[in-house]
Amino acid sequence: MSAGRRDLLVCLLLAGAMALLPQLVGTRYVVTQSTLFFIWAVVVSQWNLVFGVAGIFSLAQMALFAVGAYATAMLGYYFAVPMVVAMPLAALVSVAVSLVVGLACLRLRGPYVALLTLAIAQVLYLVVVNDTDCFTNPPSGCMPFFGGVRGFSRFGDLGFRALLGSKWYVAHYYVGLGLLTLAMLFSIAIVRGPLGLAFQALRDNPGYARSRGVGQFKYQLWVFGLSAFFTGLAGAFYGVQFGVVGPIVFSLATLLFLLSMMVVGGLGTVWGPLLGAALLMLADEGMREVGDWRDIGLGVILVLFVVLLPRGLAGLRLRGVSKAKQS
Amino acid sequence: MNVAIQILSSGLTLGAIYALSTIGLSLVYGSLNMLNMAHGALLALGGYVCFYVMGVLGLPGLLGVPAAMLVCGLAGFVVYQLAARPMLASGGFETRIFIATIGIGAILGNVIQRSFGPQPVAQPLALHGALVLGEVYVPYQNLLILFVSVAMMAVVALLLGRTRVGRAIRATAQNRDAAQLMGIRIGRVYAQVLALSGALAALSGILISSLSGLLPNMGGDPMLKAFVICIVAGLGNVFGAVVAAFLLGLLEALIQYLLGVQYSFAILLLIVIAVLIWRPAGLFGRRQVVRL
Repeated sequence: MSAGRRDLLVCLLLAGAMALLPQLVGTRYVVTQSTLFFIWAVVVSQWNLVFGVAGIFSLAQMALFAVGAYATAMLGYYFAVPMVVAMPLAALVSVAVSLVVGLACLRLRGPYVALLTLAIAQVLYLVVVNDTDCFTNPPSGCMPFFGGVRGFSRFGDLGFRALLGSKWYVAHYYVGLGLLTLAMLFSIAIVRGPLGLAFQALRDNPGYARSRGVGQFKYQLWVFGLSAFFTGLAGAFYGVQFGVVGPIVFSLATLLFLLSMMVVGGLGTVWGPLLGAALLMLADEGMREVGDWRDIGLGVILVLFVVLLPRGLAGLRLRGVSKAKQS
Repeated sequence: MNVAIQILSSGLTLGAIYALSTIGLSLVYGSLNMLNMAHGALLALGGYVCFYVMGVLGLPGLLGVPAAMLVCGLAGFVVYQLAARPMLASGGFETRIFIATIGIGAILGNVIQRSFGPQPVAQPLALHGALVLGEVYVPYQNLLILFVSVAMMAVVALLLGRTRVGRAIRATAQNRDAAQLMGIRIGRVYAQVLALSGALAALSGILISSLSGLLPNMGGDPMLKAFVICIVAGLGNVFGAVVAAFLLGLLEALIQYLLGVQYSFAILLLIVIAVLIWRPAGLFGRRQVVRL
């Protein structure tokens, strides 16, 4: 069985198994936390395309996520666009922003890319937070164009609250699961397809790749554009799920959390980031008891993995495979 | 005329603050190819240690500054022992150390927040009074910051250019393997540079916090700007970084005067992106010949 088919099978089996969870464990907490897991897993699976597969050290992914969330909220808030329409539109906005980021980073390498993308994210954050002029004046108080520190709320939802009443969160669970399944299928198709080969070639040996006609310009824009779509969609869904979009989506702590997921799971592998996301969500859950020590614990996990196990948990298996091949 | 002096004064102060945060970063990148994302936390640590020694223990400032430099130098050494040393031999050093120092910075920042609380406190070490130029007041503290940043640059330049240690650092920067073959202890160079940059960060943190106040995350913003400056100057070029810091400080003061405070950083960043598209290796960076 080819690697692509195996991944496809695993993906469908996992999706099928996860579809049963709300039937087995009815607790609202478990279901909503799993929904959050789906959202983060979508983001890391797409971030992994840029960072792991194409080897471009971009830290803009959370900013793209935020763009998706903000675009959805603003479309809903200002134009009363139904969320079903606003979410894909917001994802397209993320793609456009990502293409601009990709263009800006085109001639930079390695850590320069990381710094520039981090700075871009910071600028977006500052633009949102520092803008204090009232754009509209609803009864709830002054509302800047980008929502200011408070952010947006009451911009609409997917309609499940009206349809299912108090059980709406189960519907959101399935929306999240569907989103993650699509995102995984998408990233499997890319990693195992010709585009993924081109990305990996440019990552592993840019000179050779270019001399064989794999142009950096074209493929860097491809990877930035493609990876932004589901990231933006995840951001949009995050907004709908929580009903609030505020500047907290830009926070460095979240960025660190998602980066740790990829590092712990294994950069550049298909399933590593997903595994990392699951493990870190569980670890985060476990550390909830100790409150403020959570961020320190996360930092320790990140440092331990990047120092001792740089290829992540998925790297353990890869190492085993390559040893078996050598002997 | 007064407006010009005002812009010049605040621009030079901003530039000096940026230069202070930039020197340590640039030194580490230039000699170790390592972006130290924990630098911001080290700035805060330095500021807080000085605050602790002076404000809580009640000792004079002449003790607070060396204590802060010592603690941050030790912290830099710990970063080397914990993160840099185990990675030196294996591949992907640049990316991995970047991620690891993000983690270390987060840990350190949270430890500081837990020890001193999230509310801002004032830095006790500050000069009072001001120099009057025309109708513009230039606080002595700003002049001190200007003086220290230039002095720090001179010390680092002398150290790198004139001493044996500096020569070892430069050799390591040029070619790690060749330097090792010539008998330079790479590990010791890394430890020295990280400890030195930690000590410099302490000094910078004390001075920055004397203007902005102490906050556990006070290092984040100066660090980000310092990175932007490093990129504009060309990573690893200490002298260029200081020049770029002053240029950007003046530019920011001008933009603030003309357009208002809230857009200054965004506009600055647009300029930076334009510079990078024009010269990807930075203003003062030498073009690197990459062998494929």
